[in-house]
Amino acid sequence: MRLFLIKAVATALTIGATAASAVFVTTHLKNPAAPLQPAVLNAGGGSTNTTLDGTLTVGPSVQASNAAPMTSTYAS
Amino acid sequence: MPPEFTVESHHFEALGTSCSLFAAGQSRARLVEGEFWVRRVGARLTRFAVDSELSRLNACAGHWMEISDELRPVLKFALTAYEASGGLVNAAVLPSMLAIGYTRPLADGPAIAALDGIGALPPLPDVLEVSHDKARVASGSGVDLGGVAKGWMADRLHEFLGPNSVANLGGDLMAIGPGPRGEGWPVGVAGTTLMLRDQGAATSSVRRRRWGGVHHLIDPRTGLPARTGLEEVSVVAASGFDAEVIAKTALLLGPEIAPIYCAAHAMAWSLGGAHDS
Repeated sequence: MRLFLIKAVATALTIGATAASAVFVTTHLKNPAAPLQPAVLNAGGGSTNTTLDGTLTVGPSVQASNAAPMTSTYAS
Repeated sequence: MPPEFTVESHHFEALGTSCSLFAAGQSRARLVEGEFWVRRVGARLTRFAVDSELSRLNACAGHWMEISDELRPVLKFALTAYEASGGLVNAAVLPSMLAIGYTRPLADGPAIAALDGIGALPPLPDVLEVSHDKARVASGSGVDLGGVAKGWMADRLHEFLGPNSVANLGGDLMAIGPGPRGEGWPVGVAGTTLMLRDQGAATSSVRRRRWGGVHHLIDPRTGLPARTGLEEVSVVAASGFDAEVIAKTALLLGPEIAPIYCAAHAMAWSLGGAHDS
């Protein structure tokens, strides 16, 4: 009886977590008002604070350096 | 400490712009092979040569045409760019390009603009159909791949340049691998050096390729040169293609939405300039 109870609880937890994950992901895909992930918010300095003077905003997945560039992106 | 590789570089003019290839631990011959590939694919995709594969596809609008293995993926990526940008990167831009006088390479000078009758572009999926080995452009329409091709090509050049390389095609670039010292490839973005590793970068701008009050970046919502309040956007993203699409989309979204859009889609970004509107 006790073993059955443990199995039942484990199964219920698994199903519950799966359902909750699905709801979370689906909501964030379809709801444009859903909050951005913290890493994105931090990278943007609050997003809307980005200036329009050509200042570079660098996210956490990119590393700035003092090295001379080997090549550059530019308008062509 | 990771080993330091010797970097071979190769520079040439193609696609109407300057191209630079870099590879660590590779022979110069590999870079020259990359140049040949750029020229071969560029010859297929240009709209400025009447006998290019793209020009022939546009010329037989309304009919299915067999296409090569090199044109097909670019057409499919153009459709992907349309979806990813919510319709703002729309390769069905050829009629507008011709209307603004961009009928030939700007080195030869623009033609006279005739903007009467130009309106919003049709949705690309209504204009362009791509099957396994054929494609069809709708009657009265035309496709210009200039907005997506360079980023797409930069992403594929590592097949020639090797797993530790950079391809920069007129500012649309892709950096693959750990770089010469294992810290990434030093790439200039908006005046700052970023160490890119398996990342792309691109700049979209209305400051270049402009003449007589118009420029080459068309807003598909009007069919006319974009006047959004932004002049130049540079971004870093997961690939050269992604960076090119994100930069164009951000510029077309304008200064109010572009910062939020870039924060959600780009790894680094720079938004430049109040437009003269």
